[in-house]
Parts: sequence; structure tokens; C-alpha cells
Amino acid sequence: MRYLATGVLAASLALSGAALAQQKAGELTVAMTQFPSTLNPHIDSMLAKTIVLHMTQRPLTTFNEKWQAICLLCTELPTIENGKAKPVDLPDGKKGVSVTYTIHPNAKWGDGTPVTTKDVLFTYEVGKNPDTGVANMEQFREIVSIVAHDDKSFTVTKDKLKFSYNLMNDFRLIPEHIEKANFDPKSAADYKKKTAFDTNTTNPGLFFGPYKIAEIVTSSHVSFVPNPTWFGDKPKFNRVTFKVIENTAAMEANLLSGSVDYIMGELGITIDQALAFQKRQADKYNYDFKPGLVYEHIDLNLDNPLLKDKRVRQGLLLAINRDQIVQQLFEGKQPVAHTNVNPLDWIYDKDVKTYRHDAKKAAELFDAAGFNVMKEGYRHNAAGDRLRFELMTTAGNRSRELVQQVLQSQWKAVGVEIVIKNEPARVFFGETTKERKYTGMALFAWISSPENVPLTILSSKHIPTKENNWAGQNYTGYKNPEMDKLLEDIEVELDREKRRTLWTKFQAIYSEDLPVLPLFFRAEPFIVPKWLKGIVPTGHQYGTTMWSQNWAAN
Amino acid sequence: MTRFLSLRFLQALLVVLVMSFVVYSLIGLMPGDPIDIMLSGDPNMTAADAARLRAHYGLDRPLHERYLEWLGNAARGDFGFSRQHHQPVLAIVLPRLLNTLYLMIGAFVISVAIAIPAGVYAARHPRSWVDQAINLFCFAGISVPTFFLALLLIILFAVKLGILPAGGMKTIGQSSFTDQLRYLILPVMTLTIINIAQITRYLRSGMIEVLREDYIRTARAKGAHESRVVWRHALRNAMIPTVTIMALECGTLLSGAVITETMFAYLGMGKLILDSVLANDFNVALIGLLFACSVTLFLNLVADLLYAVLDPRISYR
Amino acid sequence: MVSLSPSETLIRDEAGLPPATRPAVLIWRRFRRHKGALIGGAVLVALALLAVLAPAIESWRGQDHEAVNLFNRFQPASAEHPLGTDDLGRDLLMRLIYGGRISLFVGLVTACLTASIGTVIGLVSGWYGGRVDAFLMRLCDGWITLPLLPLLIVLAAVDPTKVGLPAAIAKSPDLSLYRIVLIISLVAWTTSARLVRGVTLSLKTRDFVQAAVAQGASTARILFVHILPNALSPILVAATLASGNIILLESTLSFFGLGIQPPVASWGNILTNAQEIIWSQPMQAIYPGVLIFATVISLNFVGDGLQDAFDPRTEGR
Repeated sequence: MRYLATGVLAASLALSGAALAQQKAGELTVAMTQFPSTLNPHIDSMLAKTIVLHMTQRPLTTFNEKWQAICLLCTELPTIENGKAKPVDLPDGKKGVSVTYTIHPNAKWGDGTPVTTKDVLFTYEVGKNPDTGVANMEQFREIVSIVAHDDKSFTVTKDKLKFSYNLMNDFRLIPEHIEKANFDPKSAADYKKKTAFDTNTTNPGLFFGPYKIAEIVTSSHVSFVPNPTWFGDKPKFNRVTFKVIENTAAMEANLLSGSVDYIMGELGITIDQALAFQKRQADKYNYDFKPGLVYEHIDLNLDNPLLKDKRVRQGLLLAINRDQIVQQLFEGKQPVAHTNVNPLDWIYDKDVKTYRHDAKKAAELFDAAGFNVMKEGYRHNAAGDRLRFELMTTAGNRSRELVQQVLQSQWKAVGVEIVIKNEPARVFFGETTKERKYTGMALFAWISSPENVPLTILSSKHIPTKENNWAGQNYTGYKNPEMDKLLEDIEVELDREKRRTLWTKFQAIYSEDLPVLPLFFRAEPFIVPKWLKGIVPTGHQYGTTMWSQNWAAN
Repeated sequence: MTRFLSLRFLQALLVVLVMSFVVYSLIGLMPGDPIDIMLSGDPNMTAADAARLRAHYGLDRPLHERYLEWLGNAARGDFGFSRQHHQPVLAIVLPRLLNTLYLMIGAFVISVAIAIPAGVYAARHPRSWVDQAINLFCFAGISVPTFFLALLLIILFAVKLGILPAGGMKTIGQSSFTDQLRYLILPVMTLTIINIAQITRYLRSGMIEVLREDYIRTARAKGAHESRVVWRHALRNAMIPTVTIMALECGTLLSGAVITETMFAYLGMGKLILDSVLANDFNVALIGLLFACSVTLFLNLVADLLYAVLDPRISYR
Repeated sequence: MVSLSPSETLIRDEAGLPPATRPAVLIWRRFRRHKGALIGGAVLVALALLAVLAPAIESWRGQDHEAVNLFNRFQPASAEHPLGTDDLGRDLLMRLIYGGRISLFVGLVTACLTASIGTVIGLVSGWYGGRVDAFLMRLCDGWITLPLLPLLIVLAAVDPTKVGLPAAIAKSPDLSLYRIVLIISLVAWTTSARLVRGVTLSLKTRDFVQAAVAQGASTARILFVHILPNALSPILVAATLASGNIILLESTLSFFGLGIQPPVASWGNILTNAQEIIWSQPMQAIYPGVLIFATVISLNFVGDGLQDAFDPRTEGR
């Protein structure tokens, strides 16, 4: 049986591709690994939901594939230059900003009701209510007021004049004409049980995007059909289905058997799987490995006396060969990170200090830090302390475990002992990093957006403690007054060139201090059949489905 | 008998009650929680948002308080909402339960139908080549990892031959029974291959032992027809361990087919329970687990009753 | 008809025979006749030897099983690497040999522990019946449905030094291994408990047991001398069939951070890691799979052999 099985597998691998994906006219089936728990735009936060929602509606503004801010539902991006945004002095003496948007004149919900400022005001009312259970509350909290001028134009006043003043990327509208009946401000907590997005998901009135939802089966699939009231380019498919297949090996099999046509990069197979797949199926698909804003790095617990020494941190980074890891494990598809700023971001400083693999220099730094006694193959200081750290990450993530073992062996070569201790994701993120319970190193990723200011990650005011109820994401415990000030300055600097100078300074401090060890930016593999056109990976969280009207069969 | 059954019923109620508390506490005691995972996936969310959401879902209240509230509501037939899916618990659980029942019954009936003749034959001809073949098949079935077996079947039947769907519940846009049946074949086949081994092996070893017993020799010596000896006298006595195992396996199929369900993207109870537990979706996890517990209790009761049928000397008082 | 317990037959046989044929010798003689059992035993001994000698083999071959070499990934079989290399360029043969240390230890020790716990509970439950039986079996029913996952996550969070373990043990690298054994034994005893209890229910009504009771034999003696030997066949099947499952379960534990941590190898984690690369590197899954298969087969044949060896009636055939 076993050998028979082996034979079958070997034979099928040799002949794989015999049953090729057959395209059904006008239909597209897409595989993804996760199903959204809710489709309400503001309750809960998960990538799968954003991806599905972008098929059926548009936020006011977003970033395009070149990482530039653009208007989607609005007609023109408001700026101070074009007069649609004005700095204002708020009653409490702070400097705020008023931004005026105009909703696209042809925007209509799927049942024909126009999208109007009523929806904007209603969305704000729902979002700002603390009992609604909104995931990203900050975007509502920063709004001082919204004033509607007519059906289509309105002015938002925000409490702080930041350089990103005109962005409302996560401001997704809720249809007032449907949801008003389900939302009672006095018992807002019940809204999540009543929202039509979950109780009557196929109601066309919930959507104004190129597609609307025709069928949805929780945890299994969601099917879209064109929405006739959409104001943009006509969608090209009669039916698009997103099918959930959690196991990525099974996902590959589904692609080969033709039961799905295309694997979405945002929630698809892992990069090593995709690279191996490409070798076997080079001609049948187009491959796009879009490096994105997922920043894989190692947080260092700066309360650890060994890690307090900057020389040790720099030595650690010099001792590992990230170029080799990226080349050998990921065929160079994931760029090495030097700081948390992605090379594709316009603020990236080409001349940032880099740490190319240099074992000799690393050894010198360790020696200088006092770890110059070799015992049992590892470095010790005069007091007999071993240069030894615990390296933790999420258990069961094969890719991270591979990187972890390579790092362990590269550090061993310079006399640093690494003990691997992995935990399930919920414990790792819910306790170990959040409550800063890791003793040495924590390997994980931050997802960001273009020109994101990592205030909560690097500012000393955001170190989680028991006293502040573990608020903040500065898990390393990094404290640098210069950095604190810089982060606040960047946020409110409107002039691009001045901001560029500040960002350069930011990257200089980051790469000198190394509160975290930068590893690389993750790439998302898109496996697209040759006949499918119009898929443009973006590399940030506002992904391909935002432009789904351009998807077409060749 | 009535007294025995009503006693068992009371015991079962007690077990379910205790289990509900144990399960609730276990889920509550797990360190970390899924809301914090949202943070690492959304740059705009802050730790303060996470704390607010926890309070919103009542996850910050003391465990015993939440448990008692849940118990009170459940006793009144209100099983609450799924924290994860924002839908009433039964709307989530019932369709899954139905799917699992198809899977469970299919796999159970087929395994038993194959395993009993195979086990008996193997026992009557120990160490013959048929016996060895049956044994090898059984060992392969239990030592091949489920994910591997599932992938092999997908490759063979969906990719190479293209005659069965690779996974899912139904062809989208269709709702005929035969269509659903096609989606059941591969998962049922996977579970059958895995389950057949146990029943066959217990039956085989039980039969071998019984066939050596004096009373079987006596029956044979008296000239009783061989098939009557085997199927009436021997099988009956060899069935006690087999019945035990069948009851246990049937229960496992209800909530333990997680890997099979995942590989074939089949929406069953196993995956639902696992996901709900991991997501701290207390309401769904509890109903799912209590259901699985009740089924186990029921199946083991059936097994106990069957013992008495198989061996009339066993009595419960 | 007064039938004697087989073990009593054994004792009487012993009394009438010359000293050279003590029971152990008899058992060995019968065992030896089972060819499959002999081969199985040999395979197990060979695998165990490899595991024990792993460090010696490592230094003899000059292959460090944990040394990463990124330029050497997925090398095909060669004289230097008879089975090729893995995803980090490590010698696969060496990793499999080291993996055997963990997997065989966990598989064999846990299977024995599980069977022992289950047997004692089953014997007590079946023999005493009544309230004892009701309590133990309802405990068992609940235990079966106890969700493994939250239990594992909660257990992983327990700080071993806080539960009174001396720091020397708590800090020892073998701790995770003992923990795996303990956890699996704690969850897996239910099958053998239900099996043994079922058989005990039936056996305690038999004449030879009643005779022993009438003669005033102690309960312990009746349970372990009269009943246990006759309940051996399902216990052996349960223990030998479970071993494969246990070896695979170990890798599931690692998934939750409870098992062994990388870079330590086990058959289970080599297999699980192969899951994502199964299409391009199927051999990474097949080698550990074959080893688990070989272990399961060998154990089962040895089990069959033992069943025959302990059953004096085989003598007459």
C-alpha cells in the first residue's frame, strides 16, 4: 500500500499538469486560505474581510500599486494646495484640519439608492460609538466633526494636522437606508448581531462596487456577480467565486485539478511552495512575487542586560548572513530589510547604514563588549555569563522555523548560543510579546502601509506595562528621546522634502541603535493563469481586489 | 432495565454539566487571545483598541461569572451568538452537524461492512496470504498520515483522473443530492481507510482467541455447521472488544476528523470546534463539544447494552 | 464443565515438566514459532540500536544532523548523503536516525504507559461494577470528548518550576520529552480502559473466575492472575495499534509549542514539515512515513506473537 502510494505520487508528479485548468466561460474561481468572520466593514479586523469587501465597495481614498494616495469614491483628492483642505485652529487651541470630499456623482448602492452624505454621517455615528465594537477606532476618534453640505459633498474636521490629513483609507461606508433600522445608539452593542452584512448578506443595497455578493456560505465560499449600478469600468466576469481552502498543499492540488483558476497572493500559498510550483509549472502560469510591507524582524528585549549593549546588537546583526538566507531560501524574492522602511517606499534612504555579513567585525564587537572568553564553543564575559538568548516565534510556521534554525546555526558560528522556544500564535502575540514576557528575541512581522509612522512601535510612551494595561506596541522597550521627538515631528511635517530629511534621520537612528534586528520584507506569490489579465499586486494591505473590475479573461 | 436507563440518563446529564464547566474553564484559561492577533495584522489598530474589544465581547469579566450566565441562558434554550461569526450559535452548528453526520455515517457503515468480513476471514485463516494482505492494508491505513492520504486521493481522483472534485461541499450554483454525494466520496474514503484497521484488527485477534476455546471445539466436534460455528458462536464472543472500538470510533468521527475536513475543505464539526476554541468563541465551542460529549455517552451506552446482548451473563443492575 | 483459567493451566503445566521448561522458556518457544513476530522484533531492535548509537554514527560519518548548510538544500541521494539532504541542507539519514530516538521513545513508552493506566482502570471498573463502574466510565466518556487543544495550550503555559519540579529537571532538555509522554498517556488511556472493562464484565461471570472467588482468592489476585491474562489480546492490539498514532501525535504537540523544539528531529516533525513541500520533495515525507509504517508493522507482529506465546492453547496445534 505504502509503496503503491509512493508510486502513484511519483507518477503523478512526473505527469502533473495533465489535467489542466479549464476555463469556464465568463467565470473565475479564486482560492484563498481564510474566510471573513463578518462582512461588516467596521466590526473586527481581518485581511480576508478587506479582500472580500473590496470586490463590493470602495473606501474614500487608498494607495495605488505605486503606493501613491488616490481617490476612489471621492472625485478629487483634497489638498491644501487645491484649497479643499484647510488647517484650522480648534477650540482647545490645537491645530486641526478641515478636509472637503465630494462623493462620485454616479455612485449608487446596488438597489439603486444613491450613495450620499447621509451614509457618511451614519457611518460616523456608528463608528464613533464605543459600544459598536469597531476594530479600528482611531480613524473615528481623530474626527472632530463631519458636516454635510449637500447630498454629495461633506467636510471632515480632524483633531490634528498630520501629513496624511487627506487619507480616509479605511472609511468604508455603511448604507444608511438599510442599516439605520439595525442600529440603535442606545444598544449599540447589539448592532453586530443585527447588521445586514451578516444577516442578509446578499442584499444588493449593501454594495456599490463592481461586484455584488450572490451567494455566501460561511467558511466555504462567496460568489460575486456584476453590480449593474457600479459607476466605474464594467466588470468582465459573469461570476467570480472566492473559495476557502485552508491547507496550502490541498490548494495546489485544487489549482492543478482545475477546481480553482487562480491563487490569490494576499492569502495564498507560501513563498517556498510557490517557488517549487513555478519550477514544475513554469509555462502554464504567470508568477508575480510582489515584495510588500510585511516586515519580518526580530524584536530584542532591551531590558535584557546583554542586549542593552549596542555593540552586542550590532554584532548580532553582522554575524548573520541575510543575503544568503534570502537567496537560498527564497531565491532572492524577498528583499533584505535594513530598517522598517521598505526600499519601494519613497522615503527610503539609499545610503542607510547596512550590516552585510561580517563575522570578523561581529567578533570584534563582541570582544569589545567583554564577551571574549570562549568556553564550550560559546562566548562568555569575565563574569562567566554566556552570550545566550532565547529566540521565540509562532510555532508551526514552517517558513519562520526554517529562518530561525539558519540564524541559530549562523550565530553559533560566532559563539552565540540560541535556544529556540516557540509558542502558538495566540500565546505568542497575546501574552509573550504584548506583555514583554520574552527574555531575548521574538521573531515576527509587522504589516504596515506606505509611509507609515511607527509611533506606537518605537515611541517610549508606548511601552506596554501592567500600569497602562499593556497598551502600546513598543515590545522592545526602546527609549530614545531623539526618536520620540522625530516620530512626532514626522507626523505633522507637511512638506515632502523636509519630511524626507526627517525620515533619513529616522533611518539613521534606527540602523545605528538597532532596537530590532531587521530581516527581510515578505513577498506575496501570485500564481495567475496565462489567460487571466488585470491582476496588479500592490504589496500593501489595499490589495488586488480593489481593482477587480479590470480582471478579464484573455 | 427502565431503572438502568434512567440512571444512565441522569449520569449523562451530570457528565454534560461537569464537562460544560471544564470546557469553559479550559478555554478561558488558555493564555493569550485572538483579539491580540488582529493587532499584528492591522497597522491602524492599537493595543487600546484590543482592550476595548475584549471588554466589548465581555472577555474581561471573571470566568465563573460568564460561565454561570452562559449556563442560565443555555438552560432556557438560549445558546447565544457566535463571537466569531456574529450569528446565532445554532445557525452555525446545525448545518455543520448535518454535514458531519453524512461523513460519519458514510465512513462508519462502509468501514464496518468491510472490516467485519475481513476480520473474520483473517482470523479463520491466520497467516494465510489473504490474512497478511489484510494486515498490511490495516497497518498502512493507520500509519499513513491523514494529510498524505488525502493528498494522494486528491491527486489520483481529481488531478489525474479528473473524475471527482478535489474538495468543497458542492458545485457552486448546483444543489442536487448526487452532486453533494460526489463531494463526499473522497473524504469518506479517507476516513474509511483510516478506521478500517482498528475494527479489523480487534475482530481478528478476538476471533483467533475465541476459535481456540473449548466450546468452539466442542461445537465443531458435535458436527455443527462451520459457518454457524463461526458466525453465531465465535463472532458473538469476539465482538465485545470490537463493539467497544466501534462505539469509540464513531464518536471520534464526529469531532475528530479535523485533518480530513481541512484537506477537503469540508465543513464539519471537527474543524468548527477547533476553530471556535482557538478563537475563544465560547458559545460555539461549548455547544459543539457538549454535542460531541452527548454522542459519546450515547454510543457507549449502546455498546454497554450490546455487551449484554452478546454475552447474556452480563447484566446491569 | 469447569474450565480453568489459562494461566492456571500454565502453572499446572509447569509443575509437571522438567525445570528446563519454565514458563518464560515456553513463551519464548511459542513466540519463536511466529516468524512475523521474530522479524518484527528484529526490526524493532535494529531501529532501537540505531537510535541508541546515533551519536556514535554521527561522529563516524562526520555528519552533524543539526548543521545547516544553505548551499546544500534538497540534494539528491549520494554516497555522502545516502538519502539526500533536507530543506536546510542537513543529512536526511542522520536526521531520521536521531528522529528515531524521540519517536521510538515516545511511541513505545507512551504505548506501554497508556495501556497500563487503561488496564488498571478497566479492570477495577469492570470488576467492581455499580457506582465505581458508573463513576469511572462516565469519567472516561467525558475524558474522550475533552478538547485536546485548549488542554495542551494550558499545559504548555504551566511553569514546571512552579508545580514543584526541581530546577535540575525543569531546566533539562529532556523535560519536553517527558512532558510529551505524560500528556499523551493522560489523554489516551480511555480506549484500553473501555476495552478491558468490557472484557472484564464478561470474564467475571465465567466459571473459573467464580471458582477463584469461591476459593477466597484476593481481588488483586483474581484481577491480575485470572482476568488480566485473558484480556491480553485486546490490550496488545490497542497498545500496538496506538504506537503509530502516538508517534504522529508528537508532531502535533510540537505544533502547539508543547513538543520538541527545532532543530531537534523526530519522525513526526520531519513528516509534518514535509507537508508544504510535498509536491516537489515527496521523499521528505515518504522516508519518515516508511519508518513509522515499519515500526507499526513490527510492533503489531510482535503483538501477535506475544498473544500466541501467552496463550497455552497454541501448544496443541
